[in-house]
Amino acid sequence: MLEVRDLTKRFGTTVAVDGLSFKATPGRVLGFLGPNGAGKTTTLRTLLGLTLPTSGSATVEGRSYRELQDPVTVVGAVLEGPQFHPGRSGRNHLRVMAAAAGLPAGRVDEMLRLVELDGAGARRVKGYSLGMRQRLSLAGALLGDPRALVLDEPANGLDPQGIRWLRDFLRREAGEGRTVLISSHVLAEVAQTVDEVVVVTHGRLVAQGSLNDLTHGAESPVWVRSPDAERLRAALAAKDGVEAEPGEVPGWLAVRGASLETVGTTAAEQGIPVFELYRPRQSPESVFFELTSGAEAAP
Amino acid sequence: MAGSLFGLLLLIVVLSLALSDNFRTEDEARSLLSSASLSGLLMLILGVVAGAGEYRHGTIASTLLVTPDRLRAVAAQTLAVAAAGLAVGLATAALVAAIGVPWLSAKDAPMLSTGELLGMFIGCALYTALAAALGVALGALMRNQVAAVVLVLVFLFVIDPVITAVAEGYAKFSLTGLGTSMSGGSAEDVQGSDLLPFGVAALIWAAYTVALAVAASVLTTRRDI
Repeated sequence: MLEVRDLTKRFGTTVAVDGLSFKATPGRVLGFLGPNGAGKTTTLRTLLGLTLPTSGSATVEGRSYRELQDPVTVVGAVLEGPQFHPGRSGRNHLRVMAAAAGLPAGRVDEMLRLVELDGAGARRVKGYSLGMRQRLSLAGALLGDPRALVLDEPANGLDPQGIRWLRDFLRREAGEGRTVLISSHVLAEVAQTVDEVVVVTHGRLVAQGSLNDLTHGAESPVWVRSPDAERLRAALAAKDGVEAEPGEVPGWLAVRGASLETVGTTAAEQGIPVFELYRPRQSPESVFFELTSGAEAAP
Repeated sequence: MAGSLFGLLLLIVVLSLALSDNFRTEDEARSLLSSASLSGLLMLILGVVAGAGEYRHGTIASTLLVTPDRLRAVAAQTLAVAAAGLAVGLATAALVAAIGVPWLSAKDAPMLSTGELLGMFIGCALYTALAAALGVALGALMRNQVAAVVLVLVFLFVIDPVITAVAEGYAKFSLTGLGTSMSGGSAEDVQGSDLLPFGVAALIWAAYTVALAVAASVLTTRRDI
């Protein structure tokens, strides 16, 4: 369980994170989405005890990261940015981590095999591609067989096969009961991986829920076209919690609070002909774009 | 790096022995043999490079993720590099002894007693270890590798000599003075000023190291990585 509560972080006069709260729970993959500079990395680094909050808290299993007794078994992390000494080999990097964490050296080779770097383990990191570095970083995160994973833009630099591998891998990890928190600025990278998303811009939460919830939100009405629109409107409006309004084009109605089935059935019961009936389905991309660009307009 | 240290030392020892016949006093012999302490300077700089290198390469993040206790992390790195310094110091002392001692006796120079020699070489190795430790602590404190190395060099070769020249009695407390005392050099190496006893010099140096390491860990605790 990873929890961020009322987290605020200021760097000088810049507010990176502004009163953010969310939870990642075991057995699920939580996508942490937002454009570049939305405060994702700051939030994740605070969760890992690398950045100190200005106010609020970020906790792992109820404690701050720095208080954890055996952190590598609790959280594994993939961070953004350089994190390897170019002159050391991938295996050497992991061995140092394993030794510091009191893990057997055999675990290192196991992890290298898992991320398919066993052939390159002996080579210096400076010769690694971006994707190989990401996988090495992931191997480091998994060393202690942690109960939670915090991954900052792990899909960066991965090719399509790599992204698919990561998706299957994370689904499996969550399936085993681990908590997975994964950040991204590209929804498509994680759309098929996540159970739920938290969307932030300018350090503030703008949406939370499953991708389905986001794309089929209440803001998307059912549209119906009928030659007897007024009678249909009255019939629908008589139902509990249903609102029906004439659209701008004559003959159209925008119906909120009702499913496609309810609208169709109501029309049939009343013997009202219906020519068109649909709910505009917003693509996750456009919802994401709207959510994040809407907030961008605000100061 | 260690290879170039050994090469440089070989050059210094061999050249001084080959070019000079003036090894009439014990002090002169002592001065030559203590050139092994050059390893101290090297390990001081290597220590800085190692300490600040964690920040330069970003490995500090994985270090602190595995060991969130900042004091423990800084202390562990300091001790590890100090151990490397000890090994380098021992190797250097052995090299200088292997060449210097037989050559000096062939020249009929006044020889130090075996006990004195042994003390000198052990001192040199300890000094190298302590120098490495000081370097790591400073590097972890400053984080900027280039700035930290420049600071060390400016301090050793500008600030320290200037204070020594201006303030009477400072020489034996200067880094050079402490280093010379630990590595058993002669008083001539620090402009004739008397030196502190080995134990006192080592303690003062260790105190500097501990102060810097504690400052580094306190600051690392309080700042964002």
